[in-house]
Amino acid sequence: MTKNLAPDPITTEIIFNALQSVTDESFVALMKSAYSTNIKERHDHSTAIVDRGGRLVVQAANSIPVHIASMLGLMRTLLAKYPLSDIHEGDVFCANDPYHGGGTHLPDVNIARPVFVDGVLIGFVCNIAHHADIGGMSPGSMAGGMTEIYQEGLRIPVVKLFRHGQIDQDLFDLILLNVRVVEERRGDYNAQFAALRLAHRRLLEIVAKNGVDMVTAVFASIIDRTFARMKTAIAGIPDGTYRFEDVLDNDGAGTDDVKIALTVTVRGDGAVFDFTGTDRQVPGNVNIPLNGTIAAVCYVVKAMLDPELPNNQGVIDSVTVTAPPGTVVSCVAPASVASRAHTSQRIIDVVIGALAEALPDKAVGAANGANSMAIFSGIHPTTGRPYVYLETLGGGFGGRNDRDGKDGVQVHITNTSNLPIEAIEMEYPLLVEAYGLIEDTGGAGTWRGGMGLRRVVRPMGHDCLFTGVGERFRHQPWGIFGGEPGRSGRFAIQEADGTERPMPTKFGDAVLRHDQSAVIETPGAGGYGPPSGRSVEKRDEDRRSGKFSDAYMTKHYGVAPSGGG
Amino acid sequence: MGWLIGVDVGGTFTDFYAIDRATGAIAIHKTPSTPANPADAILAGLDVLSTTHGIPAGAIERLAHGTTVATNTLLQRKGAPVALITTEGFRDLLEIGRQIRPKMFDLKADAPPPLVPREHRFEVRERMTARGTALVELEDAAIDAAIDQVAASGAEACAVCLLFAFLNPVHERRIGARLAERLPGVSVSLSSAVQPEFREYERFSTTALNAYLQPVIGRYMLRLGQELTKRAPNARLGINQSSGGLMSVERAADFPVRTALSGPAAGAIGAAHVATLSGHPDVITLDMGGTSADVALIRGFEAEIGFGREVAGFPVRLPIVDVHTVGAGGGSIAWFERDGLLKVGPISAGAEPGPACYGRGGIEATVSDANLILGRLSSTLIGGAITLDPAAARAAVQPIAARLGFSIEATAEGILGIVTANMVRAIRTVSIERGHDPRDFVLMPFGGAGALHAGEVARALDMTTIIVPPAPGILCAQGLVVSDLKEDFVTTTRMAFEPGNRQAIESVIASLNREAQAWFTVEPVPAERRRLRLAIDLRYIGQNFELTVPIAQTGGASPALPDVETVRRQFFEIHEKTYGHFTPDDPIETMNFRLTALGETDRLPPPSTDTTARRTLTAMSRRDVWFDDAYRTTPVYDRSMLIPGQAFDGPAIVEQLDATTVIHPGDSVGVDTALNLVVEIAR
Repeated sequence: MTKNLAPDPITTEIIFNALQSVTDESFVALMKSAYSTNIKERHDHSTAIVDRGGRLVVQAANSIPVHIASMLGLMRTLLAKYPLSDIHEGDVFCANDPYHGGGTHLPDVNIARPVFVDGVLIGFVCNIAHHADIGGMSPGSMAGGMTEIYQEGLRIPVVKLFRHGQIDQDLFDLILLNVRVVEERRGDYNAQFAALRLAHRRLLEIVAKNGVDMVTAVFASIIDRTFARMKTAIAGIPDGTYRFEDVLDNDGAGTDDVKIALTVTVRGDGAVFDFTGTDRQVPGNVNIPLNGTIAAVCYVVKAMLDPELPNNQGVIDSVTVTAPPGTVVSCVAPASVASRAHTSQRIIDVVIGALAEALPDKAVGAANGANSMAIFSGIHPTTGRPYVYLETLGGGFGGRNDRDGKDGVQVHITNTSNLPIEAIEMEYPLLVEAYGLIEDTGGAGTWRGGMGLRRVVRPMGHDCLFTGVGERFRHQPWGIFGGEPGRSGRFAIQEADGTERPMPTKFGDAVLRHDQSAVIETPGAGGYGPPSGRSVEKRDEDRRSGKFSDAYMTKHYGVAPSGGG
Repeated sequence: MGWLIGVDVGGTFTDFYAIDRATGAIAIHKTPSTPANPADAILAGLDVLSTTHGIPAGAIERLAHGTTVATNTLLQRKGAPVALITTEGFRDLLEIGRQIRPKMFDLKADAPPPLVPREHRFEVRERMTARGTALVELEDAAIDAAIDQVAASGAEACAVCLLFAFLNPVHERRIGARLAERLPGVSVSLSSAVQPEFREYERFSTTALNAYLQPVIGRYMLRLGQELTKRAPNARLGINQSSGGLMSVERAADFPVRTALSGPAAGAIGAAHVATLSGHPDVITLDMGGTSADVALIRGFEAEIGFGREVAGFPVRLPIVDVHTVGAGGGSIAWFERDGLLKVGPISAGAEPGPACYGRGGIEATVSDANLILGRLSSTLIGGAITLDPAAARAAVQPIAARLGFSIEATAEGILGIVTANMVRAIRTVSIERGHDPRDFVLMPFGGAGALHAGEVARALDMTTIIVPPAPGILCAQGLVVSDLKEDFVTTTRMAFEPGNRQAIESVIASLNREAQAWFTVEPVPAERRRLRLAIDLRYIGQNFELTVPIAQTGGASPALPDVETVRRQFFEIHEKTYGHFTPDDPIETMNFRLTALGETDRLPPPSTDTTARRTLTAMSRRDVWFDDAYRTTPVYDRSMLIPGQAFDGPAIVEQLDATTVIHPGDSVGVDTALNLVVEIAR
């Protein structure tokens, strides 16, 4: 490749635009033809193009932050395992294992196909999707209580699933035998294969139009430009050493207060995120591989410094992330990892906490910090068929330097929508008795934190099972710069007379009788700046809207309720 | 015999397209819009049509009106104070929405605050179940207590949004009736009337928007109706809806949210009309104006309809012509991103100050400046109304060229390349991502800037043919003239789609049909113009998304349900097209039943042309136009002098009052009988 072929900013922009179409198009194709609800409706999948060195060039606009980690992990293990002489046209590589395939949890199945032009490897197209089941001890492969990766499902190291365009049927049969609802899973794999073929074809069309040298030069140019842009942003952070630590409530398997500690060192345009001091990995499945930790750090650094920045290798290369192996943020085999999303949320809180001093205008109060989940299962009393209804609920988003936190939303790396109440009740024998914001849950502040959500659900005409997985139930989401913490979340079972029995942070399969209701309350979020700085107009709004009680207003703002309203 | 007139009120201009139903004679007119009271521009324009085009107001049979009043009211948040009455326990539903953020990576991007503040959202104790039965009865005292709160809130409009009201509207109707009785000055929107479909947040949001718009649009419609009755007593006024059909003024006042996306809809209907006249059933439209470009798909001469969209950040669940918008227009500004890449748009110089070449104080380089530098645009636009300043355009592009180390021309060409790439990506979204290959379509550019860029867009998508309509700048107004009267009826009834339920399914259809027949009578629509189209949203049991399957069309009689197996096969076909697979053995179920009632308008003749005088093709001038790295001497034709049958090859420029068409070297052009330019791209 000629060195001085540096593509100009216009050509780069136009080809970059075309490459984005490749990943966006294959993203939609995968979403449409998949079977898993996770992919089809929650869009828990990603598509990308990487260069021949395994560096991420372009990711679909709606890709999931943590999936970057898995894709790069796959590329790294793939290129380490297979010499270039053993990578051929029509091969498709597949992996999901955190320890032998670069993944972050088993339901995320990762595939990649090399792209050759005139016999020369120019890069790979790849995609990743969260399958509704990958086997293991629990349907859905995501339940709490699993303490070893072996229980979480089928482990796939990086393997060749296609050789020279031919699927290895023996291997595929082995994979499919190990998952539930095999026909649907086969459909998910086929959707991934089809999306890969589409991306491969489209990338070759772009090469045909622009020439292979130009396209590969644009690959490099995109990464270099993002890297330089990111470095400029990092250079804007005052030099210094910044520390913060926080804890997960528990691992759901007996360990409380799992600490995550971080030291950030910024020198010039360099930033090192060192998680030394973090607790050892735990039995419960809240461990996260280093790849996942890197993805969480990259998410929050980009969100704080430059949200519009393209997501590619340039972002990842611009920071250094280290953590001692065997800790909860850099776990080693056979640690269980299925619920690593909670840990991602906490890592993000810790990074924000550490950088708040250096970037006060970009920092936000701690958000609800969880991926609050409730599962209802039972036998439909009229049809006699079993049902499972799973919902993840949002909560408060933290106060910001110039505005309040948002009430009742998914935060940071999670952005999945709720299921309409009318859809729930038409589908399942459940009654949603209430769904709303919880009074007094947003932390007070100059800019207050967002409010948590409350949902009350009753089984109709039968008893069902209720599972809850929460976080920030014991440790409140903190405020910053004098902002007050938001209120914690909680689970409870409510009797017909209104009395409530509290439930643990993480529990499985509690019986919920037909005359009882499940109460799910998600955490609020922390405020920003001291409550004394809150404007009269904002305080009036808090009171007028009924989002905060007079007692709360008096306690936190020291002002008696105004008579006029 | 009389005239049919389409009036499209846009942000800058109000356009008129008038056609004599008998002779096919056409008059077009453009006048500046009057945002303070849009009706003023309409009345002024009608005066001009009367005095200079000889169209007496008394000879106007129908006036079809497209309005952006609702859209602007929403964008500027100038609607009325609204209150909400909702089911106990769900006061915050309108605020929570789907609990998602608009941008994952942006810590400060929030969905807009709800149009009804929390203190104006009131609960009533009542509850319907998923079977449409009352689990908790609604007491009169509860209604009155809620209405007391509405009265005290000072709201001018009230949205009534109860869970499962789409199945059983009785509670909503009781509240509505009592509101009308006790607070006659307050407009009322019931979710079961605005859009009786399931999924509460989308229905509530649509209903709240409707309430928010009711007082403003109601006043506007009332005034416009009165003025027109005075001036043009024989004219029936039709208001354009987002679904691409007209409704009466009264319905527009009741359901103003239906007009919120009507602007792009008219363009698509106009394009479908031109497609019909030119015999091209499958068209991709490219409506490029000053700030944005709208793209849409027309298949089988009909614009594609979607059922959900966001308007000003709020979801709206209604039938809407499926238009995709991208920030690419003549005024789009070229700028350097922090990583050094050149971007064009979505920020636009707008009408004020406008592109640098307009000489109204704009200093940033825009797409129009690039077109002027390259000779694609003339410095004196036809009609001489506006003179463009090439020196100002070059001065604006110069700093970008200097930073790139490029010539000014190469930079201008690059700006056009980027704006093309942006539009190409939008077209790929509506075509390829939905299973349609753009190579099977012709490209129809319109709006002021579409035909300047169509050649590049078509090349990038390997499309072979471009159709440029005779009056690209007023295609929306033309679309209004040919729009049918339209009303969409919908009801959600979930049941297994199987032979055993045939009777139940037919009774749902029968009940929708009764509503449609009543509408035919009220409008009234004469028997020979009545059309009914039935579609059912079906899904596999257990799925959470539906596919709309067309079932039957009639000339006004109740549509009959074909045998269940036929419909199942249709569902499988659509499922395969949309999702790439289907499973023939799995049970399917109905969700929404949709009955569209149409009052068909006249099938208009092609515009009349004077073909008696056989004009020879002559260029009105020649100028240097930049194509592929060099200026080439290029003939410029006057569009108004072209007649059917003429043909010429590119490079060429075709100018007309409201648009400029660029013909690239090697492309060939023919003028068809409907006066369209048909451009064949060189292969």
